[in-house]
Amino acid sequence: MQKIISAIVEDIGKVLLGKEHQVKLALACLLARGHLLIEDLPGMGKTTLAHALGRVLGLSYKRVQFTSDMLPADIIGISIFERETGQFRFHEGPVFSQLLLADEINRSSPKTQSALLEAMEERQVSVDGETRPLPEPFFVIATQNPLQQSGTFVLPESQLDRFLMRISLGYPTREAERALFNGVDPRAQLAQITPRINSEGLRKLQGLVHQVKASDSLLDYLERLVQHTRQSAECGVGLSPRGALALLHAARAWALIHNRGHILPEDLQAVLPAVAGHRLQTDGGDGAQLVERMMHQVDIIAA
Amino acid sequence: MSEVAGQFRTLLPRESLLWVFAAQFVVLLPHFAHLPSWLIFAWFLAVLWRIEVFRGRRAVPGRAIKLLAVTLAVAGLALTYRRWFALEPMVALLAVSFTLKNIELLSRRDAVLSLMLAYFLAATLFVFEQTIPYALYGVLCLVVITAALVAQQGSGSARVGRALGLSMKILAQAVPVMLILFVVMPRLGPLWAVPNNTSAASTGISDSMSPGDFSRLSKSDKPALRISFDGSVPPPEQRYWRGLVYTHFDGRRWSEPGVTGNRWFGRRFHSTQSSQEDDGRLPAVGPRYRYQVIQEASHNPWLFALAISDSDTRGVRSTGDDTLVYHMPVGSRLAYDVRSWPRESATAGARLSPAEERRHLQLPESGNPQARAWAEARRREGMDSLAISQSLLARYNRSFTYTLKPPALGADTVDEFMFDTQQGFCEHFANSYVFTMRAAGVPARVVAGYQGGKWVEQEEYLLVRQYDAHAWAEIWLPERGWVRVDPTAAVAPERIRDGLQSAVAEEFMQDAFLPLHKIGFINRLRLQWDTINYRWYQTVVSFDADRQQGLLKRWLGEISPLRMAMFLGVPIAVGLLGLLVWLNLSARGPALPPASRAYLRFCQRMARAGLPRRSGEAPGDFARRIERELPALGPMAARITVAYERAAYTDSKDALKQLRRLVRGFWPLRQLAKLGTAPAPHQSVGQ
Repeated sequence: MQKIISAIVEDIGKVLLGKEHQVKLALACLLARGHLLIEDLPGMGKTTLAHALGRVLGLSYKRVQFTSDMLPADIIGISIFERETGQFRFHEGPVFSQLLLADEINRSSPKTQSALLEAMEERQVSVDGETRPLPEPFFVIATQNPLQQSGTFVLPESQLDRFLMRISLGYPTREAERALFNGVDPRAQLAQITPRINSEGLRKLQGLVHQVKASDSLLDYLERLVQHTRQSAECGVGLSPRGALALLHAARAWALIHNRGHILPEDLQAVLPAVAGHRLQTDGGDGAQLVERMMHQVDIIAA
Repeated sequence: MSEVAGQFRTLLPRESLLWVFAAQFVVLLPHFAHLPSWLIFAWFLAVLWRIEVFRGRRAVPGRAIKLLAVTLAVAGLALTYRRWFALEPMVALLAVSFTLKNIELLSRRDAVLSLMLAYFLAATLFVFEQTIPYALYGVLCLVVITAALVAQQGSGSARVGRALGLSMKILAQAVPVMLILFVVMPRLGPLWAVPNNTSAASTGISDSMSPGDFSRLSKSDKPALRISFDGSVPPPEQRYWRGLVYTHFDGRRWSEPGVTGNRWFGRRFHSTQSSQEDDGRLPAVGPRYRYQVIQEASHNPWLFALAISDSDTRGVRSTGDDTLVYHMPVGSRLAYDVRSWPRESATAGARLSPAEERRHLQLPESGNPQARAWAEARRREGMDSLAISQSLLARYNRSFTYTLKPPALGADTVDEFMFDTQQGFCEHFANSYVFTMRAAGVPARVVAGYQGGKWVEQEEYLLVRQYDAHAWAEIWLPERGWVRVDPTAAVAPERIRDGLQSAVAEEFMQDAFLPLHKIGFINRLRLQWDTINYRWYQTVVSFDADRQQGLLKRWLGEISPLRMAMFLGVPIAVGLLGLLVWLNLSARGPALPPASRAYLRFCQRMARAGLPRRSGEAPGDFARRIERELPALGPMAARITVAYERAAYTDSKDALKQLRRLVRGFWPLRQLAKLGTAPAPHQSVGQ
């Protein structure tokens, strides 16, 4: 198992140079059965990451480019009357896939956004009074442009909460960029990626995540972190129980990726910015700085 | 912040307003009895107005209306009270300010001010009454006022249960402070005597005696005196508590010149502060009885004591008639210490001056011819004073009856009583006896006071009630001085020995609405209640500077600043220390798991070696930093960290044991010294 995980990380690392931490976070997110929000400027490799993940995990992959004139039916699908049979037939939309890349999700209208986000939460869609389950596993990787950019609709907090993690890739390191200049073609690398695992294996991995042990000492630490968000004057809104649970799951997946049967405080700290950052958004600054401060303020051992 | 916002922030919500009114009502309620009724009306009006303001139906009164209200109130006070410098007008003034404040009760600040005034007004209650029910009511006032203060805090604090609960909690916490202050607070004597209201109806023995006075008193079972003895106790037939002496008779009414209403203009014998100067009056031997009298409010200045008495209590003076008077009417319970000597020990060789003799032989020009004739006849028979007295008493004994319901008497009261009705009460006997003796040329006077009293066993004090009021006589015998003669004793000796109840069994308290005195259980209950009252007065109300000194002396040995400071400081210090310990314990939370404790010890040692773990730094990160900055300690730190991680995060028992062993053997400073590596300077690794 461990071999598979390191191979996956390594494969993606070939496409997305020097972003091992982000790749691992993305993988942890998927292993914890969560959806991933990648927030960054255009051209930073958001799509590439999603693409590579889909390929290496052997998932059926669809991509939707969100635009402002998109309608929910464009994602979910639509029933069309067929003359031959004289009946309506449901044409599945792109949401019926194992890995959906929702590109630039904040470019579409809130109506469309919520259609997708509902599917993410329920893992099923209801059309014409009929409930249709989505494939298993089902991941959404959404990318979004930073909010300052024009022509974007802000995702409300309730919908941000649906994403287990929000990560940003950031500029590549000097070495990675030099490698790009030297002609390493990510696109070609992407084509070379072969699936390392099938759906069955992925489900098994996801099952293993639940077996990672969280000791009382660790839960204490987690509790104190969560309490801090709820009591500190800095945080506008504290972490919800769902947020706290997300943190625990993500930390489990992170520990599994690092070949551990138990969570260490480092694991919590590693996933904390990605899991809590978008949930703690305050009026002024970004949640990430808040989380950074919080990690220094809350010691791992109760004082 | 804008002005409007500021006003809204401080404007009183409905609950606060209602609480303030409730507190005011509770405080004013007992004062309603003696405040002028227009003031009560004004209070209701002000409250009504304020409520109308709250409902938006009326504007906040402007300057003109406020001015008018103040003028009216001051004018009302001036008209109601003639004398300004007395307690009642002052309390009324306070109540007026309290009332008028209501119409400008706008902000929270006003509410707090009003409630502070309420505390003060609640305290003034004790100027008038100091009994247990009033003390309890005072506590109730405190609870309500404090609850009203609590209710001003907003956000749900105004709910009745919550406000009262918090208020009681706060007050309960204040009880120890109250007790300490009660004991150690210096008791200042009154800086000036604020005269109490003197127009209150006086009770008990009045300034004169006319027929019917004492039978009226016999219907009241209110306590009059409580007497506790220090040492020997006089036998029942000697318990004559003299109050007033009447020497002037106008044919119907006995009175004393110089005593009218509740004012005393009579001759004061001496002031007790200079008791050395007039030793002639007091015998040289020690007093036979020492006792303390606690007198209920009588609104009269005269006090009650046995014959020939003297008191060191401040404000108590002796009169020329061997009675005691207070320097002002007794408006509330008064305690005074008395020493008494029996008459026989004092008056050897004393003489009655001609003026005194005239005074004690005074009779109206005419009236009661039969009695005068009877006295003349005895004189002519050659009897001396004592013989006349005895024959008169024998006459009483032969054919008179003692009753609380004598037939009405006409103009010549003495004649009618002596020769016609022959039924009467102590005043009739005293009246006719003194009249007849004077007619026979024997100086005589009527003495009014109380006789007897009932023992309250547990407390060893004598309870004298109003129905123990009694009138008797004193005659002057040249060789013996003043001698007490009780004509009632000649008729009804049981009255003197056992008290009124047994003397007139059937008639006793006949007019009472409920004949409760006939039920033994209730009598016992009332005696117990009286005992409680007595103790209350003894321990709380009469706790003055002297007794405070005595108590502190008993506790501290001597009263020095150092001991006082210890007495106050040690309990406070102990209390604070306890609080500190408790806070510390409660703040610590649940105990740390053993692995964390061992790891923290490791962190402490690392800090001493110059590399403290940063807050929030994970053990793994810390180990890597040690490896980087103090490579010599790296491997050991790594092993400890791994052991800790396994112990804490996989709950492995073996790892815990290993961790403990490793930490026990981990002395980074020693290790560094052995290797000759200086620990890193503290600044470079600090946060």
